[in-house]
Amino acid sequence: MEGDKTLATSASTKAVEEESLAALNMDEAILSQRRGIEEQIASEQQYLVSSTRELSELERDYQHHGEFSARIQELKLIYGCLRRTRADGNCFYRAFGFSVFEALRKNKAAYQAFRKSITEAKEYLVIIGYPTFTLEDFYENFIEELDKVCDGEGCPISQLEELFNDKGMSNYLVVFLRLITSSQLQKEQDFFINFIDGYSTVKEFCSQEIEPMDKESDHVQMNALTSATGVCMRVFCMERGQYSTVTFPSDGKPIIHLLYRPGHFDILYPSADATADSPTL
Amino acid sequence: MKELMNLETNPPPGIRIRSEDCDAFNEWLVDLKGAENTLYEGEEFQLLFKFNGRYPFDSPEVTFTGSNIPCHPHIYTNGHICLSILTDDWSPALTVESVCLSIVSMLSSCKEKKSPPDNSLYVMKAGKNPKKTRWWYHDDNV
Repeated sequence: MEGDKTLATSASTKAVEEESLAALNMDEAILSQRRGIEEQIASEQQYLVSSTRELSELERDYQHHGEFSARIQELKLIYGCLRRTRADGNCFYRAFGFSVFEALRKNKAAYQAFRKSITEAKEYLVIIGYPTFTLEDFYENFIEELDKVCDGEGCPISQLEELFNDKGMSNYLVVFLRLITSSQLQKEQDFFINFIDGYSTVKEFCSQEIEPMDKESDHVQMNALTSATGVCMRVFCMERGQYSTVTFPSDGKPIIHLLYRPGHFDILYPSADATADSPTL
Repeated sequence: MKELMNLETNPPPGIRIRSEDCDAFNEWLVDLKGAENTLYEGEEFQLLFKFNGRYPFDSPEVTFTGSNIPCHPHIYTNGHICLSILTDDWSPALTVESVCLSIVSMLSSCKEKKSPPDNSLYVMKAGKNPKKTRWWYHDDNV
């Protein structure tokens, strides 16, 4: 009897070991698949933020989805053109950063107000104990680029395109926008905790969903980043059923416009003044 | 690297950077002391940080090294550490200092010195780089 029991135990241990071994090999496979997907997206989308494109380009994305062509017609009534962003999980922050810089470079008052709010958001992170060493580095870099863009008459659009397509520089700006979002969420945590699923604290949500790179964004992030910066943003949400537009804050006058399709953000320009160089302010 | 100089001049208690053994751009060695009134009081450990070209967007590879690897439910005897900020939850705003402090805090909250349950198998099969393992983080209390 003793013997049988030992045999049974070792057999089950063996099964467990085989299972863990398979799991370790699978880890490698999943990681390499994830890298493969990233490389594929990067090769198909050479840009981080594209040049301006015709809205009809979107029709090609939805050739086999008839219900979307109606949405695109509705979009065309309001908007003139778009810029695509790379689908790397940072698209919301990159689209927001680009269009805000573009809007602020010709608007001194809004530029000064924006500069002040991001400085306050950074100060709040210092107060709650964020490592100032890295924080100040991201902050100073962001301010330096913002000042360059908004200096004098405002930089040419080509300079802005270059800045946001230089991967190192572009990601540095994204990191800071993620930190600003995190700052606002933590400052107003009693409010935001009601909209966060699957996390017991706002802090935990921020360190797992906001601050790491490549993590996607949704309503909560849009709300936090716009309220932290005082930027009024309108989002055209294109889904299967019908379109809707959301403005943050709801009573504001939008200075930037984004297109939202589940999981992705691009930049839109209103058709009233559709050339990219002078969006309606 | 600015970060190296900063840590040299203002190290937090129990943490010392071995600048003589550091290659400023690729690898750093850091001495870590077990905190007082914890199971690791009086013990000294060494951490090896390796940085790749994507740092700070990509996390550093951090392992225990040297003769004394702490016996802890989240630290494998080959020096690999199961800590979420070292992979999935890494943020570019984190620093070598904040990683060290997280590790000291992980050691400090330990109530019983024992190796991870799947230690022998993992150590046998795992590669050199802990970032090639997809970690499952399940226990925030230790």
